Amino acid sequence: AGVRPLSFPQGRRRKRRRRRRRPAPGPPAATMSASAVFILDVKGKPLISRNYKGDVAMSEIEHFMPLLMQREEEGALTPLLSHGRVHFLWIKYSNLYLVATTLKNANASLVYSFLYKTVEVFSEYFKELEEESIRDNFVIVYELLDELMDFGFPQTTDSKILQEYITQQGNKLETGKSRVPPTVTNAVSWRSEGIKYKKNEVFIDVIESVNLLPSCPCVHPQVNANGSVLLSEIVGTIKLKVFLSGMPELRLGLNDRVLFELTGRNKNKSVELEDVKFHQCVRLSRFDNDRTISFIPPDGDFELMSYRLSTQVKPLIWIESVIEKFSHSRVEIMVKAKGQFKKQSVANGVEISVPVPSDADSPRFKTSVGSAKYVPEKNIVIWSIKSFPGGKEYLMRAHFGLPSVEKEEEEGRPPIGVKFEIPYFTVSGIQVRYMKIIEKSGYQALPWVRYITQSGDYQLRTS
Amino acid sequence: MPYLGSEDAVKELKKALCNPHVQADRLRYRNVIQRVIRHMTQGVDMSGVFMEMVKASATVDIVQKKLVYLYMCTYAPLKPDLALLAINTLCKDCSDPNPMVRGLALRSMCSLRMPGVQEYIQQPILNGLRDKASYVRRVAVLGCAKMHNLHGDSEVDGALVNELYSLLRDQDPIVVVNCLRSLEEILKQEGGVVINKPIAHHLLNRMSKLDQWGQAEVLNFLLRYQPRSEEELFDILNLLDSFLKSSSPSVVMGAAKLFLILAKKFPHVQTDVLMQVKGPLLAACSSESRELCFAALCHVRQILHSLPGHFSSHYKKFFCSYSEPHYIKLQKVEVLCELVNDENVQQVLEELRGYCTDVSADFAQAAILAIGGIARTYTDQCVQILTELLELRQEHITTVVVQTFRDLVWLCPQCTEAVCQALPGCEENIQDSEGKQALIWLLGVHGERIPNAPYVLEDFVENVKSETFPAVKMELLTALLRLFLSRPAECQDMLGRLLHYCIEEEKDMAVRDRGLFYYRLLLAGIDEVKRILCSPKSDPSLGLLEDQAERPVNSWALDFNTLVPVYGKARWATISKCQGAERRGLELPNTASLAASGPLIPEEDKERVQELSDSGALMLVPNLQLTAEYFEKTWLSLQVAHQQVVPWQGAVHPDTLQMALQVVNIQTIAVSRAGAQPWKAYLSAQDDTGCLFLTELLLEPENLEMQISVKQSEARTETLSSFISVLETVIGTIGDIKP
Repeated sequence: AGVRPLSFPQGRRRKRRRRRRRPAPGPPAATMSASAVFILDVKGKPLISRNYKGDVAMSEIEHFMPLLMQREEEGALTPLLSHGRVHFLWIKYSNLYLVATTLKNANASLVYSFLYKTVEVFSEYFKELEEESIRDNFVIVYELLDELMDFGFPQTTDSKILQEYITQQGNKLETGKSRVPPTVTNAVSWRSEGIKYKKNEVFIDVIESVNLLPSCPCVHPQVNANGSVLLSEIVGTIKLKVFLSGMPELRLGLNDRVLFELTGRNKNKSVELEDVKFHQCVRLSRFDNDRTISFIPPDGDFELMSYRLSTQVKPLIWIESVIEKFSHSRVEIMVKAKGQFKKQSVANGVEISVPVPSDADSPRFKTSVGSAKYVPEKNIVIWSIKSFPGGKEYLMRAHFGLPSVEKEEEEGRPPIGVKFEIPYFTVSGIQVRYMKIIEKSGYQALPWVRYITQSGDYQLRTS
Repeated sequence: MPYLGSEDAVKELKKALCNPHVQADRLRYRNVIQRVIRHMTQGVDMSGVFMEMVKASATVDIVQKKLVYLYMCTYAPLKPDLALLAINTLCKDCSDPNPMVRGLALRSMCSLRMPGVQEYIQQPILNGLRDKASYVRRVAVLGCAKMHNLHGDSEVDGALVNELYSLLRDQDPIVVVNCLRSLEEILKQEGGVVINKPIAHHLLNRMSKLDQWGQAEVLNFLLRYQPRSEEELFDILNLLDSFLKSSSPSVVMGAAKLFLILAKKFPHVQTDVLMQVKGPLLAACSSESRELCFAALCHVRQILHSLPGHFSSHYKKFFCSYSEPHYIKLQKVEVLCELVNDENVQQVLEELRGYCTDVSADFAQAAILAIGGIARTYTDQCVQILTELLELRQEHITTVVVQTFRDLVWLCPQCTEAVCQALPGCEENIQDSEGKQALIWLLGVHGERIPNAPYVLEDFVENVKSETFPAVKMELLTALLRLFLSRPAECQDMLGRLLHYCIEEEKDMAVRDRGLFYYRLLLAGIDEVKRILCSPKSDPSLGLLEDQAERPVNSWALDFNTLVPVYGKARWATISKCQGAERRGLELPNTASLAASGPLIPEEDKERVQELSDSGALMLVPNLQLTAEYFEKTWLSLQVAHQQVVPWQGAVHPDTLQMALQVVNIQTIAVSRAGAQPWKAYLSAQDDTGCLFLTELLLEPENLEMQISVKQSEARTETLSSFISVLETVIGTIGDIKP
């Protein structure tokens, strides 16, 4: 509906001629197309590969690892390498390299996105994507590579849909013919028809991650001490777990400031969201018109939307540290942590990891609360605090011995990392006001909401 | 399983595949086939069991079928005769009631890549295009492109093309996108798929139904479409507005590019678009995927070339964090260097100062160079930081700081005093050639302000025998002679020793010749030496102009969201050069640079230039006197009227170029010293009607292309083009007659 009738066959040739006489309108469309995709082990040996186009010799991959090593030595390694006419776009995931080769001046971010999508799909099949799981499941890997891409172009990449017709059970004997899932032909490509649940429910998770923007401690030491110069950035996501029958229509209501302004409501309790991004299922035109978030959801887990907060707040957990290194004898560490959030809230599972020199030994700890543990393979001390109420302040001291012979290599200055989770709390004050669920069979469905604030990229530099 | 050599493995598997008991037991049969594929995956040649595998394709087990077809696609080019035997089974599967099987068979058949298969696949493809299952249609549509590729350069099948064009109306979004991809491939020779108004609007309406790959693809194809009217243009932009905020970074970038290209005549729209994608780009810059982050950073730099202030308030986003890979840190440092302004300079410099002492020497040096770049605008603060770095007495830091100082005093003479005070003591911490050259140059040129300059140079003279780099010796000769002019008493003796060494003992011919030249020059008298050696010690006008070198958005919009910004322009130029003439021939025939790269016959050039300037409407005035200040003012007030690149090899010899330009009445206003990177020159000329031509020549570090930007005081295209052809001829000539 709404598609205008098209007319080409006759007009086409004439138009093309006219077009060709014009000065070149632009370069050839640099479409994404991968000639082949390789999965290599950490030494660069191909574990599995798929030749999609046949325009690049598969032996070209032999140049990849030497090239990578050479560039690394030169200090000029980038995720894009070239050898002759061939471009290698690669990502590294756990102990694997995923490499796409192409001859075209392709669209780099699209190729990287595709490789990450491949990782995501594989991970959902094998839990852990690593060398072993590729070797153990090479049949499924081939099957998936075949469906993910054809002739170098991405095809079906939605793992939920793929799981409907490529199953691990497929490895067991299956005499019955596998059917094409209706989704592959559906107009709503992200949801199959005929889904049934006994109990219709939707779980909504509002998750806000706190990133700490780095700042140099020496700039304003006096201001920094009370933690007001270092600012955090909040990235929020709303995730849904959908157990609903049929083809339901959902509408989500938030205390969105723009909406409140549109409808003339009191905007004090509203939240200003920036850079809002939605899952493909959300009707963007409706959101643009009247800020309504309406959609037919995919089945199961998915991320409905993400947003950024324009206001910056002070760090929720503030760390002060003194690390004193007495060469050839000892290191003394003092770390103070302060909860800078509401007294009623509690941060759970707080883990503060403090770097120590790699040649440190004989650790001793003293903590006012929680426990400290030395993790020599990562050269850190982890101070864990099970529950950390807002407004409280705790202290940890650590003492390490240092060998009398110092090692040659200079070490970097790794930051202090903090992990935490604060339930029933959002920094922004965002609220789900309603979730309307309408399905033509008219069943009653229950929405459940949960709010969590957690640490994202939360690191503090040591001086 | 016991270890078997590949031949034994083939034999054993062959036996197993033929064994009727195995064939009867489906599970065992499939296991044997899996072992064949496993060996194939490990790179063992399994083509020996081709016949047996072909037989195994006749099965109801779809996984087994897939494996066998995969095997056939891999080995068909090696065994074309046997592969033809499989065609029957494949054809039969193409009419299987199960659409999965039909699709699988058709896809495999089209991927066989062997001669002679075309005649068999044509009919199944045509059937596939009309299949009721979209899964099969998707495969069939791409099959058309595969079939065309197999044919090589043969005729385009008009009926098939029409069928594909009509399939753009298909219900299934992936079929639609595949149609575009397939047509693009088939019509490659004719300029690709044609996007006319009905198609463009049809695609626009389908956009929201597509997945991220489809959206990115369609956005790319829409670049071909030129809206008929302004009204239509803005309608399209409105329709696409929401894609600038897509959750997929590649769709955001694709949409941004389309906006920039469509709105090429509306700079305010372009600026507005860049404002809108700021958020998504910043988000991508802190993406969990490092590679996407890297690509985004490269594009941020691209945008900063045109809008230097664009990301200034978000400078903290570009601070490096400890665990980031090198390539991201280096990009971030470059970005920081470009977005610095009065408000954030303090914080940015503090941050960069922290990086200078990083354990990674490469990263530390990149940070120092960045501070050097910022020093052109915020000289005092930067020189102070750099001076403090010298106190660390680290070799890798000192050498880069001194090189930065050398470049800085050339551009910003006001910092000479501070630099001269910082230099004493540096010589102890410099070992490499580049650093030594920089230090010696500074001591030679500004030695009269550095009390111990002669003694530092004396150390170098003492150790000249063990010096390994000829370039250092050359620099030393020049520096010492220069210093001799200002402080003769302290230098005379060692100058004598150095010249003696160079003439009598030195093995490197260039050094020896330089020594002899200076010796003879000294014989000609001290005034002569002064006349030759006392050149300017700085060129501030060059620095000022360089800072203002903002590029218009349209100069890079076409490269946006391709590999070009990700490689970097210079590196891309090298790569595309390496990729040989055949591709260049395909991609560049319509651009202006081809005209410039046409061959010229050196002997006739001078006459040709004269002819050109005589015959055309252009008459350049001789002896035009233009001050650098006036040039600068005019340059900044004008828009670039013409920009192009011409091929270039190696370094530039400024004197030769200057002389050659003089012949055609083009004056050189300012020029970088020979070997500077990037190398620049500013030229001016005036024709008989009083119209000024101001030109910038820019040679990027890779030294492969000379970029020419011309500004004109009165917009007149005929004279502009004749001026450019004169300039091109001169530059082409110089490029050809290089020693």
